[in-house]
Amino acid sequence: MSPRYEACPECDLLLKPAAPEHGEKAHCPRCGYLLQRPRKHSIERTLALSLAGLILIVPANLLPMVGIKIFGNSHDGTLWSGVLALLKEDMWAVAVLVLISSVLLPLVNLGLAFLISFHLFIQKANFHLFHWMRWLQHLNEWAMLEVYALGIIVACVKLAGMAELRFGFGLYAFIALLIVNTLLSNELDSYLFWRRIAQLSKKP
Amino acid sequence: MTIKPLNTAQKQGFIRCHECGNLIKSLAETLCPVCGHSVTSRKPHSVQHTIALIISALCLYIPANIFPIMSVTQLGVAETHTIIGGIVALIHSDMLPIALLVLVASILVPLMKLLGLSLLLLCVHYQWQVNARLFTRLYRVIAFVGRWSMLDIFMISILVALVDLGGVAQVIAGPAATAFAAVVVLTMFAAKSFDPRLIWDHQFSYE
Ligand SMILES: [Zn+2]
Repeated sequence: MSPRYEACPECDLLLKPAAPEHGEKAHCPRCGYLLQRPRKHSIERTLALSLAGLILIVPANLLPMVGIKIFGNSHDGTLWSGVLALLKEDMWAVAVLVLISSVLLPLVNLGLAFLISFHLFIQKANFHLFHWMRWLQHLNEWAMLEVYALGIIVACVKLAGMAELRFGFGLYAFIALLIVNTLLSNELDSYLFWRRIAQLSKKP
Repeated sequence: MTIKPLNTAQKQGFIRCHECGNLIKSLAETLCPVCGHSVTSRKPHSVQHTIALIISALCLYIPANIFPIMSVTQLGVAETHTIIGGIVALIHSDMLPIALLVLVASILVPLMKLLGLSLLLLCVHYQWQVNARLFTRLYRVIAFVGRWSMLDIFMISILVALVDLGGVAQVIAGPAATAFAAVVVLTMFAAKSFDPRLIWDHQFSYE
């Protein structure tokens, strides 16, 4: 039961919804916007990946990621120590931004993805599903794990000349989390999710 | 050959819900029956919000580039870097690929976003007849690359955390870091508040 018409969100072309196969893509014929990209078992995979992400985010946050050794002094850093160091220097605005985009929102997004896919999986209607889905869509671009990963690489290259580097288990957990997160955003079919949520809410 | 306005769902009497994508007959209701969000056919006050955010970002782009973004102390000798200074230092220490990466993320991307969004706003305001598909693609690129500007901020936060050995070796974030972070956030909001459908609204089709 798909709607009779839909509109492209970027050029407002009125369209008959295409029904692409799993793995195929449906683009807007006028502006090229990616309308649908159905995935096999999208709900189940989203559930599994968000659960894996929620587990991995614990060691990624708590274990030391990168340590350095300069002139005999060694120093370990976790995901949090950047935030704390910035707070210590009274750069609270930057600290809050880093906290939000590298720690808080990845956690919130994984939690939302887990809650939504869990409810869809057990087919339980919940009044909040719409809100969760909306928040997930808006907050998604503010979780910047992959940008943070690039930041780690650049920082390490800069430090490599003046100090000895060593990598901790936190970094491996972080890389795993990054991979899980990328797979998650690839498997989550928001078109399907919205339709399922609408169907669930219609049931008595 | 007839010249007529391009068809849009709005002109055909439909509104797409911004949140869930549900299509609603115009004027029938003000709340989306599926998700309960209020519906408008275009993002409300899209142009005004985008202009305000771009101007604010432009104002902060100046201090972000003038003031030092971090200062590095090594064996008691302190050295302050601006964004450009940091890139020059990377080139001097033979790290050209990384220097290019930082140049793109910290200088070119914010500048491209500000100029690109201004171009899109001019196109909407003066109702230019353009290759709308190309302009929409420009908008998509702007919306996609915005978050990568945070690279410099994350790198500084990591350096500040790791290199903290008092007078021997220390990195301290400078005032430009706050300004630059604000530029990134403001331009991200600017890209989000712009509605690409406005480009299509005044295009004509030639058939
Ligand atoms: Zn389109």
